[in-house]
Amino acid sequence: MKATTATSPDSRVSPMLVRLADERATGALLRDHGTLYLSEGRVVHAESPTAPGIDTLLTTGGRLPRDGWQRAVDEAGARREVGRFLVDSGRIGGGELEICHLGALYDAAFFALAPGSGPTRFRYGVAHWIGPVRPVSAAAVERETRRRRELLDQVWPYPAVDTAPVTPRPPAPGQSLTRRQRALLELADGVRTPAAIAWALGRPAFHTLLEVRRLAAAGLVDTPPEPPPDARPARPVLPAWIGEITADPDIALLRRLRDALEASL
Amino acid sequence: MANTEAALKEATTIEGAIGAALVDYSSGMALGTVGGGKDMDLTVAAAGNTDVVRAKVRTMEMLGLKDEIEDILITLGGQYHLIRLLKGRGNNGLFLYLALDKERANLAMARHQLKRIENELEV
Repeated sequence: MKATTATSPDSRVSPMLVRLADERATGALLRDHGTLYLSEGRVVHAESPTAPGIDTLLTTGGRLPRDGWQRAVDEAGARREVGRFLVDSGRIGGGELEICHLGALYDAAFFALAPGSGPTRFRYGVAHWIGPVRPVSAAAVERETRRRRELLDQVWPYPAVDTAPVTPRPPAPGQSLTRRQRALLELADGVRTPAAIAWALGRPAFHTLLEVRRLAAAGLVDTPPEPPPDARPARPVLPAWIGEITADPDIALLRRLRDALEASL
Repeated sequence: MANTEAALKEATTIEGAIGAALVDYSSGMALGTVGGGKDMDLTVAAAGNTDVVRAKVRTMEMLGLKDEIEDILITLGGQYHLIRLLKGRGNNGLFLYLALDKERANLAMARHQLKRIENELEV
Protein backbone atom coordinates (compact mmCIF):
# COMPACT_ATOMS: atom_id res chain seq x y z
CA MET A 1 0.00 0.00 0.00
CA LYS A 2 2.75 2.39 0.89
CA ALA A 3 5.92 2.48 -1.15
CA THR A 4 9.17 1.96 0.73
CA THR A 5 11.15 5.11 1.39
CA ALA A 6 14.18 3.84 -0.51
CA THR A 7 12.36 3.69 -3.82
CA SER A 8 9.55 6.22 -3.55
CA PRO A 9 10.01 9.14 -5.95
CA ASP A 10 9.72 11.62 -3.07
CA SER A 11 12.89 10.33 -1.48
CA ARG A 12 14.94 11.30 -4.53
CA VAL A 13 16.20 14.82 -4.07
CA SER A 14 17.70 14.96 -7.57
CA PRO A 15 17.56 12.01 -9.98
CA MET A 16 20.19 13.72 -12.13
CA LEU A 17 22.63 13.88 -9.23
CA VAL A 18 22.16 10.15 -8.64
CA ARG A 19 22.76 9.40 -12.30
CA LEU A 20 25.91 11.55 -12.44
CA ALA A 21 27.22 9.88 -9.29
CA ASP A 22 26.59 6.47 -10.85
CA GLU A 23 28.53 7.35 -13.98
CA ARG A 24 31.34 8.88 -11.84
CA ALA A 25 31.03 12.18 -13.66
CA THR A 26 33.27 15.21 -13.14
CA GLY A 27 31.90 18.71 -13.63
CA ALA A 28 29.38 21.24 -12.37
CA LEU A 29 25.66 20.55 -11.84
CA LEU A 30 23.89 23.86 -12.36
CA ARG A 31 20.47 24.53 -10.89
CA ASP A 32 18.44 27.70 -10.32
CA HIS A 33 19.45 28.07 -6.69
CA GLY A 34 23.02 26.87 -6.83
CA THR A 35 25.73 24.65 -8.22
CA LEU A 36 27.18 21.31 -7.13
CA TYR A 37 30.72 20.41 -8.20
CA LEU A 38 31.43 16.73 -8.75
CA SER A 39 34.68 14.89 -9.11
CA GLU A 40 34.45 11.27 -10.22
CA GLY A 41 30.87 11.15 -9.01
CA ARG A 42 31.58 12.54 -5.54
CA VAL A 43 30.51 15.99 -4.39
CA VAL A 44 33.58 18.17 -3.82
CA HIS A 45 32.01 21.59 -3.48
CA ALA A 46 28.70 23.45 -3.61
CA GLU A 47 27.67 27.07 -3.97
CA SER A 48 24.39 28.91 -3.67
CA PRO A 49 23.53 32.61 -3.78
CA THR A 50 21.49 32.03 -0.59
CA ALA A 51 24.25 30.39 1.43
CA PRO A 52 27.34 32.30 2.56
CA GLY A 53 30.42 30.78 0.92
CA ILE A 54 33.41 29.39 2.77
CA ASP A 55 35.13 32.78 2.33
CA THR A 56 32.34 34.53 4.24
CA LEU A 57 32.20 31.80 6.89
CA LEU A 58 35.94 32.09 7.48
CA THR A 59 36.34 35.87 7.30
CA THR A 60 33.04 37.34 8.59
CA GLY A 61 32.89 34.43 11.04
CA GLY A 62 36.13 35.86 12.44
CA ARG A 63 38.48 32.99 11.75
CA LEU A 64 40.63 34.52 8.99
CA PRO A 65 41.46 38.13 8.15
CA ARG A 66 39.98 39.15 4.81
CA ASP A 67 43.41 39.86 3.28
CA GLY A 68 44.67 36.42 4.37
CA TRP A 69 41.86 34.83 2.42
CA GLN A 70 42.45 37.11 -0.58
CA ARG A 71 46.14 36.23 -0.60
CA ALA A 72 45.30 32.52 -0.73
CA VAL A 73 42.92 33.05 -3.66
CA ASP A 74 45.53 35.15 -5.52
CA GLU A 75 48.32 32.67 -4.93
CA ALA A 76 46.54 29.37 -5.42
CA GLY A 77 43.24 30.14 -7.16
CA ALA A 78 44.57 29.70 -10.69
CA ARG A 79 45.88 26.22 -9.95
CA ARG A 80 42.69 25.39 -8.00
CA GLU A 81 44.40 24.65 -4.71
CA VAL A 82 43.12 27.40 -2.40
CA GLY A 83 42.16 24.90 0.30
CA ARG A 84 45.55 23.26 0.37
CA PHE A 85 47.32 26.64 0.32
CA LEU A 86 45.39 27.81 3.39
CA VAL A 87 46.53 24.73 5.31
CA ASP A 88 50.11 24.60 3.98
CA SER A 89 50.71 28.28 4.73
CA GLY A 90 49.58 27.68 8.32
CA ARG A 91 46.53 29.95 8.09
CA ILE A 92 44.17 27.25 9.22
CA GLY A 93 44.32 23.66 10.51
CA GLY A 94 43.47 20.79 8.19
CA GLY A 95 40.64 19.59 10.43
CA GLU A 96 39.21 23.07 10.75
CA LEU A 97 39.24 23.68 7.01
CA GLU A 98 37.47 20.36 6.42
CA ILE A 99 34.80 21.15 8.98
CA CYS A 100 34.20 24.65 7.66
CA HIS A 101 34.19 23.44 4.06
CA LEU A 102 31.77 20.59 4.78
CA GLY A 103 29.53 23.07 6.56
CA ALA A 104 29.53 25.33 3.50
CA LEU A 105 29.07 22.40 1.11
CA TYR A 106 26.00 20.91 2.81
CA ASP A 107 24.57 24.37 3.37
CA ALA A 108 24.80 25.36 -0.30
CA ALA A 109 23.64 21.91 -1.45
CA PHE A 110 20.49 22.26 0.65
CA PHE A 111 19.49 25.37 -1.30
CA ALA A 112 20.81 24.19 -4.66
CA LEU A 113 18.70 21.03 -4.39
CA ALA A 114 15.54 22.89 -3.33
CA PRO A 115 12.50 21.31 -4.95
CA GLY A 116 11.20 22.77 -8.18
CA SER A 117 14.21 24.95 -8.82
CA GLY A 118 13.94 24.92 -12.57
CA PRO A 119 15.98 23.10 -15.20
CA THR A 120 19.18 21.30 -14.34
CA ARG A 121 22.27 21.32 -16.53
CA PHE A 122 25.62 19.63 -16.20
CA ARG A 123 28.89 21.02 -17.49
CA TYR A 124 31.43 18.25 -17.83
CA GLY A 125 35.00 18.82 -16.76
CA VAL A 126 34.48 21.98 -14.70
CA ALA A 127 36.37 22.13 -11.38
CA HIS A 128 36.16 24.66 -8.55
CA TRP A 129 39.14 26.79 -7.49
CA ILE A 130 38.90 25.76 -3.84
CA GLY A 131 40.41 22.42 -4.90
CA PRO A 132 40.00 19.08 -3.18
CA VAL A 133 39.17 19.29 0.54
CA ARG A 134 37.01 16.36 1.54
CA PRO A 135 34.71 14.84 -1.07
CA VAL A 136 31.42 13.35 0.10
CA SER A 137 29.14 10.89 -1.64
CA ALA A 138 26.12 12.15 -3.56
CA ALA A 139 24.03 9.79 -1.43
CA ALA A 140 25.23 11.53 1.75
CA VAL A 141 24.34 14.93 0.28
CA GLU A 142 20.87 13.72 -0.67
CA ARG A 143 20.30 12.13 2.73
CA GLU A 144 21.39 15.23 4.60
CA THR A 145 19.32 17.55 2.38
CA ARG A 146 16.26 15.43 3.05
CA ARG A 147 16.98 15.32 6.79
CA ARG A 148 17.24 19.11 6.86
CA ARG A 149 13.91 19.61 5.09
CA GLU A 150 12.21 17.28 7.54
CA LEU A 151 13.88 18.94 10.51
CA LEU A 152 12.63 22.39 9.50
CA ASP A 153 9.09 21.10 9.21
CA GLN A 154 9.31 19.29 12.54
CA VAL A 155 10.38 22.47 14.29
CA TRP A 156 7.75 24.79 12.82
CA PRO A 157 5.98 23.86 9.57
CA TYR A 158 5.67 27.38 8.16
CA PRO A 159 8.09 27.83 5.23
CA ALA A 160 7.04 31.48 4.83
CA VAL A 161 9.29 32.21 7.84
CA ASP A 162 12.36 31.27 5.78
CA THR A 163 12.17 34.08 3.27
CA ALA A 164 10.31 36.85 5.10
CA PRO A 165 12.12 39.67 6.97
CA VAL A 166 12.70 38.60 10.58
CA THR A 167 10.59 40.65 12.99
CA PRO A 168 11.30 40.00 16.67
CA ARG A 169 8.54 39.85 19.28
CA PRO A 170 9.01 40.64 22.96
CA PRO A 171 9.73 37.53 25.05
CA ALA A 172 7.04 36.32 27.43
CA PRO A 173 7.86 36.50 31.15
CA GLY A 174 10.32 33.76 31.99
CA GLN A 175 11.38 33.22 28.38
CA SER A 176 15.10 33.40 27.81
CA LEU A 177 17.36 33.45 24.78
CA THR A 178 20.63 31.69 24.13
CA ARG A 179 23.69 33.69 23.20
CA ARG A 180 23.46 32.58 19.58
CA GLN A 181 19.79 33.54 19.43
CA ARG A 182 20.55 36.97 20.87
CA ALA A 183 23.26 37.54 18.25
CA LEU A 184 20.75 36.62 15.56
CA LEU A 185 17.95 38.82 16.91
CA GLU A 186 20.25 41.82 17.24
CA LEU A 187 20.43 41.80 13.45
CA ALA A 188 16.70 41.27 12.98
CA ASP A 189 15.62 44.77 12.02
CA GLY A 190 12.40 43.89 10.21
CA VAL A 191 14.24 44.18 6.87
CA ARG A 192 16.84 41.39 6.90
CA THR A 193 15.69 37.91 5.96
CA PRO A 194 17.16 34.83 7.68
CA ALA A 195 19.63 34.45 4.80
CA ALA A 196 20.73 38.10 5.09
CA ILE A 197 21.31 37.59 8.81
CA ALA A 198 23.38 34.48 8.05
CA TRP A 199 25.59 36.54 5.71
CA ALA A 200 25.97 39.31 8.28
CA LEU A 201 26.96 36.83 11.00
CA GLY A 202 29.14 34.64 8.78
CA ARG A 203 27.11 31.58 9.71
CA PRO A 204 25.61 28.93 7.43
CA ALA A 205 22.20 29.93 6.06
CA PHE A 206 20.46 26.69 7.02
CA HIS A 207 21.56 27.10 10.66
CA THR A 208 19.96 30.52 10.65
CA LEU A 209 16.75 29.25 9.02
CA LEU A 210 16.51 26.55 11.67
CA GLU A 211 17.12 29.00 14.49
CA VAL A 212 14.52 31.41 13.08
CA ARG A 213 11.97 28.61 12.83
CA ARG A 214 12.70 27.69 16.45
CA LEU A 215 12.28 31.33 17.46
CA ALA A 216 9.03 31.52 15.51
CA ALA A 217 7.77 28.34 17.19
CA ALA A 218 8.55 29.93 20.56
CA GLY A 219 6.70 33.10 19.53
CA LEU A 220 9.88 35.17 19.61
CA VAL A 221 9.65 36.23 15.97
CA ASP A 222 6.59 36.82 13.82
CA THR A 223 5.28 34.05 11.61
CA PRO A 224 4.10 35.76 8.43
CA PRO A 225 0.76 34.63 7.06
CA GLU A 226 0.97 31.97 4.36
CA PRO A 227 0.84 33.41 0.82
CA PRO A 228 -2.71 34.11 -0.33
CA PRO A 229 -4.34 31.29 -2.29
CA ASP A 230 -4.10 33.11 -5.64
CA ALA A 231 -0.30 33.25 -5.30
CA ARG A 232 -0.13 29.46 -5.23
CA PRO A 233 -0.61 27.18 -8.20
CA ALA A 234 -4.31 26.62 -8.75
CA ARG A 235 -5.39 23.33 -7.28
CA PRO A 236 -8.91 21.89 -7.22
CA VAL A 237 -10.38 21.54 -3.76
CA LEU A 238 -10.89 17.85 -2.92
CA PRO A 239 -11.83 16.07 0.30
CA ALA A 240 -8.82 15.14 2.43
CA TRP A 241 -9.37 11.39 2.18
CA ILE A 242 -8.47 11.48 -1.53
CA GLY A 243 -4.85 11.63 -0.50
CA GLU A 244 -5.20 8.28 1.20
CA ILE A 245 -6.41 6.22 -1.73
CA THR A 246 -4.39 3.14 -2.49
CA ALA A 247 -2.44 2.29 -5.62
CA ASP A 248 -5.19 -0.07 -6.85
CA PRO A 249 -8.49 1.70 -6.30
CA ASP A 250 -11.53 -0.52 -6.41
CA ILE A 251 -14.91 0.19 -7.93
CA ALA A 252 -16.49 1.18 -4.62
CA LEU A 253 -13.75 3.68 -4.07
CA LEU A 254 -14.19 5.14 -7.54
CA ARG A 255 -17.89 5.52 -6.84
CA ARG A 256 -17.12 7.38 -3.59
CA LEU A 257 -14.71 9.54 -5.49
CA ARG A 258 -17.32 10.37 -8.15
CA ASP A 259 -19.93 11.13 -5.49
CA ALA A 260 -17.55 13.40 -3.64
CA LEU A 261 -16.68 15.24 -6.84
CA GLU A 262 -20.32 15.69 -7.72
CA ALA A 263 -21.08 16.90 -4.21
CA SER A 264 -18.34 19.49 -4.39
CA LEU A 265 -19.50 20.89 -7.75
CA MET B 1 47.43 18.51 12.88
CA ALA B 2 44.79 15.91 12.16
CA ASN B 3 41.96 15.81 9.71
CA THR B 4 38.49 14.83 10.85
CA GLU B 5 38.69 11.26 9.66
CA ALA B 6 42.00 10.61 11.43
CA ALA B 7 40.59 12.15 14.63
CA LEU B 8 37.52 9.92 14.51
CA LYS B 9 39.59 6.83 13.79
CA GLU B 10 41.73 7.65 16.79
CA ALA B 11 38.59 8.00 18.90
CA THR B 12 37.56 4.48 18.01
CA THR B 13 40.92 3.14 19.26
CA ILE B 14 39.92 4.24 22.76
CA GLU B 15 39.44 1.10 24.87
CA GLY B 16 35.82 -0.08 24.67
CA ALA B 17 34.80 2.32 21.86
CA ILE B 18 31.69 1.30 19.90
CA GLY B 19 31.54 4.30 17.61
CA ALA B 20 32.35 7.98 17.33
CA ALA B 21 30.92 10.97 15.49
CA LEU B 22 31.83 14.59 14.93
CA VAL B 23 28.63 16.59 15.07
CA ASP B 24 27.63 20.13 14.17
CA TYR B 25 25.06 20.88 16.84
CA SER B 26 23.50 23.90 15.18
CA SER B 27 22.16 21.68 12.40
CA GLY B 28 22.35 18.20 13.95
CA MET B 29 24.51 16.99 11.10
CA ALA B 30 27.19 14.35 11.57
CA LEU B 31 30.27 15.70 9.76
CA GLY B 32 31.85 12.29 10.08
CA THR B 33 31.21 8.96 11.77
CA VAL B 34 33.33 5.90 12.46
CA GLY B 35 32.12 2.56 13.81
CA GLY B 36 28.61 2.13 15.12
CA GLY B 37 27.41 -0.54 12.72
CA LYS B 38 23.91 -1.88 12.50
CA ASP B 39 23.35 -1.79 16.26
CA MET B 40 23.89 1.93 16.48
CA ASP B 41 23.05 4.42 13.73
CA LEU B 42 25.49 7.21 14.52
CA THR B 43 23.74 9.67 12.21
CA VAL B 44 20.58 9.29 14.28
CA ALA B 45 22.59 9.48 17.51
CA ALA B 46 24.23 12.69 16.26
CA ALA B 47 20.93 14.41 15.53
CA GLY B 48 19.33 13.25 18.80
CA ASN B 49 22.21 14.26 21.02
CA THR B 50 22.12 17.71 19.51
CA ASP B 51 18.90 18.18 21.46
CA VAL B 52 20.66 17.06 24.64
CA VAL B 53 23.37 19.68 24.17
CA ARG B 54 20.90 22.42 23.26
CA ALA B 55 18.73 21.67 26.29
CA LYS B 56 21.75 21.94 28.58
CA VAL B 57 22.95 25.17 26.98
CA ARG B 58 19.47 26.65 27.41
CA THR B 59 19.28 25.54 31.03
CA MET B 60 22.61 27.16 31.79
CA GLU B 61 21.40 30.40 30.19
CA MET B 62 18.26 30.29 32.31
CA LEU B 63 20.34 29.74 35.44
CA GLY B 64 22.59 32.61 34.45
CA LEU B 65 25.70 30.40 34.58
CA LYS B 66 28.51 32.14 32.75
CA ASP B 67 30.41 28.98 32.01
CA GLU B 68 30.87 26.50 29.20
CA ILE B 69 30.12 22.83 28.92
CA GLU B 70 33.28 20.75 28.72
CA ASP B 71 31.66 17.36 28.40
CA ILE B 72 28.43 15.50 29.09
CA LEU B 73 28.35 11.92 30.32
CA ILE B 74 25.35 9.67 29.87
CA THR B 75 25.54 6.35 31.67
CA LEU B 76 23.39 3.51 30.40
CA GLY B 77 23.14 -0.02 31.75
CA GLY B 78 25.72 -1.30 29.30
CA GLN B 79 27.25 1.78 27.70
CA TYR B 80 28.73 5.16 28.33
CA HIS B 81 27.96 7.99 25.93
CA LEU B 82 30.40 10.88 26.07
CA ILE B 83 29.74 14.24 24.46
CA ARG B 84 32.69 16.57 24.30
CA LEU B 85 32.07 20.11 23.11
CA LEU B 86 34.83 21.58 21.00
CA LYS B 87 35.98 25.01 22.03
CA GLY B 88 36.72 26.32 18.59
CA ARG B 89 38.20 29.54 17.43
CA GLY B 90 35.55 29.56 14.75
CA ASN B 91 31.99 30.07 15.92
CA ASN B 92 30.58 26.76 14.76
CA GLY B 93 29.24 24.66 17.60
CA LEU B 94 30.70 21.17 17.31
CA PHE B 95 30.89 18.17 19.58
CA LEU B 96 32.62 14.82 19.56
CA TYR B 97 30.32 11.96 20.43
CA LEU B 98 31.74 8.69 21.70
CA ALA B 99 29.84 5.52 22.61
CA LEU B 100 31.70 3.09 24.86
CA ASP B 101 31.08 -0.44 26.08
CA LYS B 102 30.78 -0.07 29.85
CA GLU B 103 32.39 -3.43 30.57
CA ARG B 104 35.56 -2.69 28.63
CA ALA B 105 35.94 1.06 28.99
CA ASN B 106 38.00 3.06 31.43
CA LEU B 107 35.97 6.22 31.78
CA ALA B 108 38.67 8.51 33.16
CA MET B 109 41.07 7.37 30.47
CA ALA B 110 38.46 7.79 27.74
CA ARG B 111 37.71 11.38 28.79
CA HIS B 112 41.38 12.16 28.82
CA GLN B 113 41.92 10.68 25.36
CA LEU B 114 38.92 12.48 23.93
CA LYS B 115 40.32 15.76 25.20
CA ARG B 116 43.61 15.01 23.46
CA ILE B 117 41.81 14.26 20.19
CA GLU B 118 40.03 17.59 20.47
CA ASN B 119 43.35 19.37 20.79
CA GLU B 120 44.75 17.55 17.77
CA LEU B 121 41.77 18.55 15.65
CA GLU B 122 42.77 22.18 16.05
CA VAL B 123 39.36 23.62 15.49
